[in-house]
Amino acid sequence: MAYSEKVIDHYSEPRNVGSFDKSAANVGTGLVGAPECGDVMKLQIQVDPETKEIVDAKFKTFGCGSAIASSSLATEWVKGKSIDEAMSIQNTEIVEELSLPPVKIHCSVLAEDAIKAAIADYKSRNED
Amino acid sequence: MAFEQPACRVCEFALVSRLFCFSCNALQPFPLEVDFFEVLGFPISFEIKSAELEERYQQLSLELHPDFYGSAPEAEKRLSETATAVLNTAYNTLREPTSRAGYLLHLLAQKQKLDERSLPDGFLGEMFFLQEALDELLESGNADELSGMRDEMRKRQKDIEADYAPLFKRLKDHPEDSEILQQLQTHLNAERYLRRLLGRIPA
Repeated sequence: MAYSEKVIDHYSEPRNVGSFDKSAANVGTGLVGAPECGDVMKLQIQVDPETKEIVDAKFKTFGCGSAIASSSLATEWVKGKSIDEAMSIQNTEIVEELSLPPVKIHCSVLAEDAIKAAIADYKSRNED
Repeated sequence: MAFEQPACRVCEFALVSRLFCFSCNALQPFPLEVDFFEVLGFPISFEIKSAELEERYQQLSLELHPDFYGSAPEAEKRLSETATAVLNTAYNTLREPTSRAGYLLHLLAQKQKLDERSLPDGFLGEMFFLQEALDELLESGNADELSGMRDEMRKRQKDIEADYAPLFKRLKDHPEDSEILQQLQTHLNAERYLRRLLGRIPA
């Protein structure tokens, strides 16, 4: 199976690899895994507390090329979005952008789950 | 169960394997959804003696081999090919304890709604931590620490594997117990993360 050009691009030059201090109040951390293959993905967002806009995002993924590309793309997409907008990102959009084959769809699901988990974590720690 | 024992389409002898009659050597047409235990002629159970499985597989793969059906009618020829493919898949699924447990759980849990992503508490965080630690070990190339980590992960895999037999045994007495089924699912999930981690440690 051949990876699409966009997958290879994100895989060989992943964007926003790294991490934030997960105990910081303006950070939300999502840690998810795919039992189908044992991939683990951590995606973090940094939120402006005034505007609720995601100002930065980081990820670290232990998994296949498609999982790395999906999470790399996810960090690019959430940046500059409000947390509500980011919440509506669908895995199907990731599948389309990266031309993922059916056997790799779960990688995009993982990335969507990671975004949602990061937002949920941020919200749970910033309830007024 | 006894009434459902399939019989040979030619000599009506009770079939051991769903694919072949050991009495009159006739290939048997089999249903698409044939289960792998039936294929190899074992009762649906986790406990299989690997020597017996091996022997049955060798025996059947010889009998079904497409080479022997070269001059047979087209339908027979095709049947020997599909039967061989099914036999290989069945054997590869049942011979290894983890994939056998996964397949058996799939058969037994069909009516139940299990949480397919369940993991022990804190497990995912631990796996992420270990993956990061492994990154550092791989970078520093510390052979002792790497082999220490490999041994530790293999031990955890073995511990999980050792649980399959007693869990399936309990399930025999309580076939609908969703808690046992869920526990098996959790074990299988955890094993896959350990396997993934082990896959990154050079042998």
